[in-house]
Amino acid sequence: MDVETSGKEQNTLDQQVPSVRKRRVGRITQNFFLHIHDTRVHLHSLKPTYTFGLGMILGFLFLIMIFTGVILMIYYTPSVETAYQSVKNIVFIVPGGRIVRNMHWWASQGMVIVVFLHLLRVFYTGSYLGNRSLNWVIGVVMLIVTLLSNFSGYLLPWDQLAYWAVTIGSNIAASARELTDLLGITSVIDPGGFLKKLLIGGETVGQPALSRFFALHVIFLPLTMLVLMSVHFWRIRKDGGLSRPAQYAGDKGGTNKWYAWPVLMWTELGILILVVVVVLFIALLTDAPLLEQANPSFPENPAKSPWYFLGIQELVSYSAFSGGLLIPVLYLVFLFSIPYKDREDRYVGEWFSGRKGLKLVLYSAGFALLLVISQLFVMVRYGWFRDWFPGISQWFVILLNPATITAVIFILLAEFTRRRMNSTRMGSLVLFTCAFVALVVFTVVGIWFRGPNWEFFWSTNHWPVL
Amino acid sequence: MKRRHFIKKSASTFVVVAGALVAVSYLRQFFPRLAGEKRRVAIGAPRQFPVDTYTYIDEHNFYVYRDHEGIKAVSAVCTHLGCILEKSTDGFECPCHGSCYNNNGEVLSGPAPRNLPWYQVSRAADGKIVVDPGKIVGAEDKFLTS
Repeated sequence: MDVETSGKEQNTLDQQVPSVRKRRVGRITQNFFLHIHDTRVHLHSLKPTYTFGLGMILGFLFLIMIFTGVILMIYYTPSVETAYQSVKNIVFIVPGGRIVRNMHWWASQGMVIVVFLHLLRVFYTGSYLGNRSLNWVIGVVMLIVTLLSNFSGYLLPWDQLAYWAVTIGSNIAASARELTDLLGITSVIDPGGFLKKLLIGGETVGQPALSRFFALHVIFLPLTMLVLMSVHFWRIRKDGGLSRPAQYAGDKGGTNKWYAWPVLMWTELGILILVVVVVLFIALLTDAPLLEQANPSFPENPAKSPWYFLGIQELVSYSAFSGGLLIPVLYLVFLFSIPYKDREDRYVGEWFSGRKGLKLVLYSAGFALLLVISQLFVMVRYGWFRDWFPGISQWFVILLNPATITAVIFILLAEFTRRRMNSTRMGSLVLFTCAFVALVVFTVVGIWFRGPNWEFFWSTNHWPVL
Repeated sequence: MKRRHFIKKSASTFVVVAGALVAVSYLRQFFPRLAGEKRRVAIGAPRQFPVDTYTYIDEHNFYVYRDHEGIKAVSAVCTHLGCILEKSTDGFECPCHGSCYNNNGEVLSGPAPRNLPWYQVSRAADGKIVVDPGKIVGAEDKFLTS
């Protein structure tokens, strides 16, 4: 598969024996399910180091979720009284139930990790450029649906982990109240309370919340995902296959292409088997967590949300409104707006937009690392505004914390880069990299360096005995 | 206006209005009508609560404090994200994000946006102490028992 040299000697499928061509094309076009593919696939799209098969892995993980989810659904009862016991039954009584639950859990963890890797791949190869902006937006929506699916599944076992993670989550949804309270308009207009009511159907997490999360988790979100997935795949074909560098953009007909049957089929089967084997293997070795039954009077200490939300929980420990709502919404607005702000189509299909871009990415990653860690150092060592000036206005707590300061500096830096280098792609490379590194650092701190009362600890061995 | 234009216009207006009504009444179903009033809670006779101590009332999520003069009650729910506060030696601490309050329920540190609310305490006809989470009072107001 020597794509580099084939620019001169045009490799084309058009001279193939007609009977072979007919058979191979027919395999795809005569099958409803295989027709998701084009009959021919560009050689560049088959390069493993271009896509790493991440989108495909996500599709297969989703398949595992559906298959294992159906079994779990048969044995699970979504009621506050019996939910916990029914999950215990699945683990200890239903034959093979433990493996099925473990696979469901590990596939969901895998989806969260791979969905972010896929985001990185698509962004750094500039695959949102050209006519692919709509598919980028659909992809970001699918990222959100993936996280929501995970979060809604988190409540269902009704254990301590579930109860307190969702209590915190629902109050983050209500955190717009922090702002409306300051403005003194909560009694007139209360978007925070509105959102919380929509999410958990009450003031505290109880049976209405469990029923809602169950409906979301087994019907609404999977269906949404399935529809979005179909559109996502269909758009790839409509946009002329996977993105590729400008030098191949003009490849029409059979130029530089192979028949999808059987090359692509073998690749996909291989990845499917690999994904199933890896998930099964981990599921056999490691159990999904299940704590004691939920107790609404005693939170765990520390009460931590799922690991992929611990970055947000770290931000929330500065201020509920700015960390839980303002910054995440800003981040999503940024993700959605990337393909509409940056129209420099010449960078399509090239990792990091070449050497200049790679250098910029490395510099911004280092800068973001330094900036976030130095602020955390100050906060942990010397405290923050409320410790220095007790009784300070809540406005300071909301507007001046490591989350907001970091965001403002990143935005300024990206804008500076855009003007200096006169390139929107370079600007978005800086902002995307900085924001992602910050997300990773906050998440790592939340996972490994926060202990009881959300205090900083170097290791869990140093936690006080409570 | 020609007759056919009139019919077209009125028909499309009808469809839009009817569609909007259906959509609104459908979406309305996602918002349950909640009982707005918070229930008053009878917590027992004053002598059940040790003097100079904060007692946690399970399930209703507040602390009752009694001294030699009277009784008061303070919410045990953190104003930040709703975790249940623990009593520390000189105030309240949140296990979730480390907000600290003093014994008057005022925020000392951490991300909490508001002070803790104190609830009205009264005595029912049968002599039991009643706490009303629907009525907020000041931190100094206590129900005099002596």
